[in-house]
Amino acid sequence: MSVPAELPRSERLSPSEVAALEAEGWVTARPPKWSEVGSRIVGFPLRVWKHRDLVMHSAKRELEGRFTGTLLGWLWPLVYPVFMFTVYYFIFTKLLAMKFPSLPESQKAAMGVYMFVGVMVWASFAESIVRGCNCIVENGNLIKKLAFPSETLPLTVVLVNVVTMLFGVVVFLGACFFTPLWIAPGPMLLWIPVLLLVQIFFTYGFTLLVATLQVFLRDTMQVVTIWVTVWMFMTPVFWAPEIVQNDWFANNMHLFRLNPAYHLVYVWREVLMSGEPAVVFSYDFTSALITLVAWAFATFALGYGLFVLCQRRFADEV
Amino acid sequence: MSGDFGVEVRNLSKAYRVYGSPLKRIVEGVSFGRYTGHHPFWALRDVSFDLKHGSAMGLCGANGAGKSTLLKILAGTTSPSSGRFRINGRVASLLELGAGFHDDFTGRANIFLNGIMMGFSRHEVERKIDEIIDFAELGDYIDEPVRTYSSGMGLRLGFSVAVAVDPDVLIIDEVFAVGDMYFQKKCVDKIFDFKNRNKTILFCSHSLYDIRQLCDEALWLNRGDMAAVGDSVSVTNEYTTFQRGHIEEGTGDRATVAFPTDDEDSGKGKDLPRIVDARIYRVGTDDEVYDIQSGDSIELRIWWHNPKPEETRIHLGLGFLRQDTTTIAGMGTHFDEVPIEGERGCLVCRMPDLQLLAGQFLVPVILLDEGGVHKYQEFLIPENLVVRAHTREVGMLRIPHEWQLRPELAHSPPSKEGASSGEPAGSGTDGGVAQT
Repeated sequence: MSVPAELPRSERLSPSEVAALEAEGWVTARPPKWSEVGSRIVGFPLRVWKHRDLVMHSAKRELEGRFTGTLLGWLWPLVYPVFMFTVYYFIFTKLLAMKFPSLPESQKAAMGVYMFVGVMVWASFAESIVRGCNCIVENGNLIKKLAFPSETLPLTVVLVNVVTMLFGVVVFLGACFFTPLWIAPGPMLLWIPVLLLVQIFFTYGFTLLVATLQVFLRDTMQVVTIWVTVWMFMTPVFWAPEIVQNDWFANNMHLFRLNPAYHLVYVWREVLMSGEPAVVFSYDFTSALITLVAWAFATFALGYGLFVLCQRRFADEV
Repeated sequence: MSGDFGVEVRNLSKAYRVYGSPLKRIVEGVSFGRYTGHHPFWALRDVSFDLKHGSAMGLCGANGAGKSTLLKILAGTTSPSSGRFRINGRVASLLELGAGFHDDFTGRANIFLNGIMMGFSRHEVERKIDEIIDFAELGDYIDEPVRTYSSGMGLRLGFSVAVAVDPDVLIIDEVFAVGDMYFQKKCVDKIFDFKNRNKTILFCSHSLYDIRQLCDEALWLNRGDMAAVGDSVSVTNEYTTFQRGHIEEGTGDRATVAFPTDDEDSGKGKDLPRIVDARIYRVGTDDEVYDIQSGDSIELRIWWHNPKPEETRIHLGLGFLRQDTTTIAGMGTHFDEVPIEGERGCLVCRMPDLQLLAGQFLVPVILLDEGGVHKYQEFLIPENLVVRAHTREVGMLRIPHEWQLRPELAHSPPSKEGASSGEPAGSGTDGGVAQT
């Protein structure tokens, strides 16, 4: 090291002196206090509102970036879910002919629809975490060179994936209203804005957490990629708790409900598949939603709190 | 806000953490401060200065001296490790060309994005976008994707957005270098305009010439420490002196000293003034001469062409440089307030009794703007001036002098107390050498 690692001859200031200086507009080297972290968490919606132009613009830019220059343009985000829906319908409903036990013969499509909704929600969540994990490191140059609220970076990733999922919801509703495949859901659809909000907070919390860890430990990305796959199989995306055959699993289903993603996938299914009263889920919508809300805010507070604590060091590490 | 200062900095230090391995980082992270796995690298130590509203400060120093770190802290992209600073007013920074530009989007879309990132609202950008596009002068390129831009065009876009913020404090990291002459001139004018409107500017450059001309003050950083701070001319001189020592040792960075040479010309060049030719003659004759005796009288003739004399006012200067680019002397019509008028002409600079000592000298001729700040062109006389001398005196320049013996002063040097009490014998002015 060319420069000796001695301490600089800086002035020693007591906390009260620091506070007085800060009141006069000085920026000091003091790390954030817990109370400040708390108020940042509480004040998050206000902060997003203040930077709404940046958030909206970045999300729009990101979405446009995927489709500008392509032939189909904005049809692409619709093409993908249409294709997925067809595939799931043919595999699970036609080919494997899997059934819910309680369902009448007329609702054969149940399994395909069930899988499609699960995959759609899970893909949005998992994609946000995996892509969001690297978003601070990737945009290192931006963070080093431009003073802007860096929490908008993971937020953009989350919003883009939620919007992508919404295209899937549109395709699903289209299939319900215009084809005989599934009965269109009724007033339960009004829950969608609530679900979206909760999902955004929940996903954003996880994304902030892994994105922050990734800055300091580049192994995070690898771990997250593996973890997301494991997590997917622990969540009823490709399996239904209602038709589990194994006794041990059936008796210990409460353990699976410790998994927040269980509830996330569940509430979406209960809303989107509510048109068919014969589909009986073994888990009640209200308790699933309440559990999810609790998880969402805990995750958000943890993720955002960690992010705020570490934010000032990002520029040095990326 | 408080006081006369745009920027106040006290004991500002910055340490980067250097970890031996990722494992040490984890252990440190989970030990909550009980274990330290890193050693600090002090990129900046105890920097303090005040910068008045309406003044400009240039940062100089070798690569890795901490210039960019200081600018980054003040711009708010990284936090200091200790010390404090205060910026009174709105800050805009241009730390890198096109930071935040998205390659696939058009220049127009990027102005939008960049403006929003700098803290504008959508409506503010909409209001300013025409002004920004006008300033950038990119023509039809404004609707092309930024990936098709040259680095100079990127600079135009970035600089235009940054100045559109109309900040109270403007922070610029050495980004000018890539602009063409025409745009550099525009930037320089803009910076002067900022200064006139009582805004504060901080910038970092390897061109000491720019620092001297643009800045009132300069700060020289050497490996994170403040080596010198003060008025720009004396600080850059000190830095040059220090650097020369390093070049001779073969260590320091070979930054351009005093007269950077770039003759890049742009498409706008046809309207810009230029130097057609310059030659050295024996005084009063038409004999070109590049091999002279010390004490000869010579004249330098400069032929210039200025297509738009009403719009573009110019000055001409010339310098004598040793081959390691140390400036021995430099003169210009802006220093002597000689106006250069008309569309073309020949300017003659007579130098009677040129007291250069033996050696080879480079003679650059420089075409400057009306303030003597922006260099339109640097024209190097193709042959070096070779000077021969009979004297064995050393140095580059002979200083006229005379020796005298004063027997009445032989016994004691004049004491300071004596001088202040008015003792006539030995007072400095009286007892010196009569000038020739």
